[in-house]
Amino acid sequence: MNGTAKRRSDQVLGGAMIAMLALVLAFLVTPLLVTCLLAFDARSFLGPLPPPALSLRWFEKLVSLDYVATGLATSLKIAVLTTVIDVLVGTAAAVALDRGSFRGRGLLMAAFLSPLIVPAVVIGFALLLFLSRIGIVDGFTRLLCGHVVITLPYVVRTVLASLTGRDRRLTEAALVLGATESQAFWTITLPLIRSGMVTGAVFAFAVSLDDVAVSMFLTDPTTYTLPVALVSNMRASFDLTIAAAAVLLMAVSALLILVLERFVGFDRLLGQGLFRS
Amino acid sequence: MSAVTAIPLRKPASAVPALGRTTLLLLAPGLLLLFVIFALPLLGLALESLKQYVPGRVGSATDAPLTLENYRELATPSFAGVLYETFKLSAAAALTGLLAAFPLAYCIVRRFSPRQRAACIGLLVMLVLLSMLVRTYALELAFGSVGIARPLLLALGISPTSRWYIETLVGAGLLHAIVPICTLTLLGTIQNIDPRLCDAAQSLGAPAWKAHLGITVPLALPGLVSAFLIAMTFAISAFVIPMVLGKGRVLFLSNTIYTRFSDVANYPSGAAVSIVMLVISLLALSLVSLVRPRKGAGS
Repeated sequence: MNGTAKRRSDQVLGGAMIAMLALVLAFLVTPLLVTCLLAFDARSFLGPLPPPALSLRWFEKLVSLDYVATGLATSLKIAVLTTVIDVLVGTAAAVALDRGSFRGRGLLMAAFLSPLIVPAVVIGFALLLFLSRIGIVDGFTRLLCGHVVITLPYVVRTVLASLTGRDRRLTEAALVLGATESQAFWTITLPLIRSGMVTGAVFAFAVSLDDVAVSMFLTDPTTYTLPVALVSNMRASFDLTIAAAAVLLMAVSALLILVLERFVGFDRLLGQGLFRS
Repeated sequence: MSAVTAIPLRKPASAVPALGRTTLLLLAPGLLLLFVIFALPLLGLALESLKQYVPGRVGSATDAPLTLENYRELATPSFAGVLYETFKLSAAAALTGLLAAFPLAYCIVRRFSPRQRAACIGLLVMLVLLSMLVRTYALELAFGSVGIARPLLLALGISPTSRWYIETLVGAGLLHAIVPICTLTLLGTIQNIDPRLCDAAQSLGAPAWKAHLGITVPLALPGLVSAFLIAMTFAISAFVIPMVLGKGRVLFLSNTIYTRFSDVANYPSGAAVSIVMLVISLLALSLVSLVRPRKGAGS
């Protein structure tokens, strides 16, 4: 192959690659932009873009709906409680798993991560059967159980990753210099694994706030989460109130991203084992 | 620092090979939680799937006879159709996702400036964290049967209510979630490939496409395979995407489980479908660990 042909084929490949990337990014971003734009649409029907006038009518309608307020309150309570339980229990478990090699360590680690490999619908259905058999029919307790199960692995995994990645010599130095083991833990280890805890907490919160597959099974007539209420409403009718809700939920995601970037940084985030299966 | 490392001092707890008391205390709450609200319910589910279903009754009786009837019932064309639909759309979305994610990940690692890289990774992390519900609704609003693209679709002669289009839409929903996951997974794979190999091939006269096909792709193959399987397991267990975008005309396994619960209250059959789904997910994930030798967490 001569030089000119090579140069031309390289140019074609480069051009095709850029065109494809633009297409992929457009596919990822366009639906979100459309939603944001339509949420501020002043028309009462779904018309072509761009909207002739902007208004906050869909947001006003959103906050006036009873099911949104009830759902949001339940969702936030569940998400906060879930995150607190996860961080306490998950960090303790991760610290234990990191305390050197004992028999059955690999098995325990697999056990703590196993809820991730069971489809959420299966967890929801199994919990529903089990909890009603032992007589727990209260929606709030059932939802809390479901959300803790599906989010605990995130905290265990991220804290474990930051424990593995830390410089153990710092703890050893503290011990050599006379600190007790618990002093070394609270003053040296804990600050070192804070980024793992924050990442895990953010993911647990986000997953809990967004879950539908588990929650659908565990709600009761008066206790339901916002996503479950929105999905039922989405199937019943199609109006732009949900676009307004979507914009608010996107704002929550963006806020969580800012927390991650602020406390952890994306470069370290990628090293924390979240995207490796 | 070197004086410290020279002392053969380990944490006292790690000296004992059996479980130390502190370790046990730290593990106890987590293990208790996992046992009570995860392991026991799954066992109960397996048991329920073997119980006889009595029409009109919600759930099975505690003393119902054990039977394989619920599984036998699944060997019907209608259930096979659901299984086929789930696999077909999941595989199509996972493959397309890989085709889109690989060049994107390559550019992020090798072509982009640090600022572009940070912006792109930020966008992808946001898309991973994005609510599944928002994603689904946004796609419905943009490409759905009453969405913004409707006039365009009609002009192109595509009916937005045809089965073919609804299947594509469900696939697009899965794709929207898969592309960010796959791209972030592949970043590490591509980072580990020595860029000098490709440069050498090109300076020796190979055109770029040949160099990438002969060097980058084979070296990234294990990463590509595991990204594919991760995407596949995600897609197979998807719930909201087929439920909302499929409008009841495209049913996934997960939707079948919900229907058996909410519409017909046939718990034993729902449990049998759940067990089948669980086995499928476990099979797919054991393939992942076959492809990629286990490393320590986060290493």
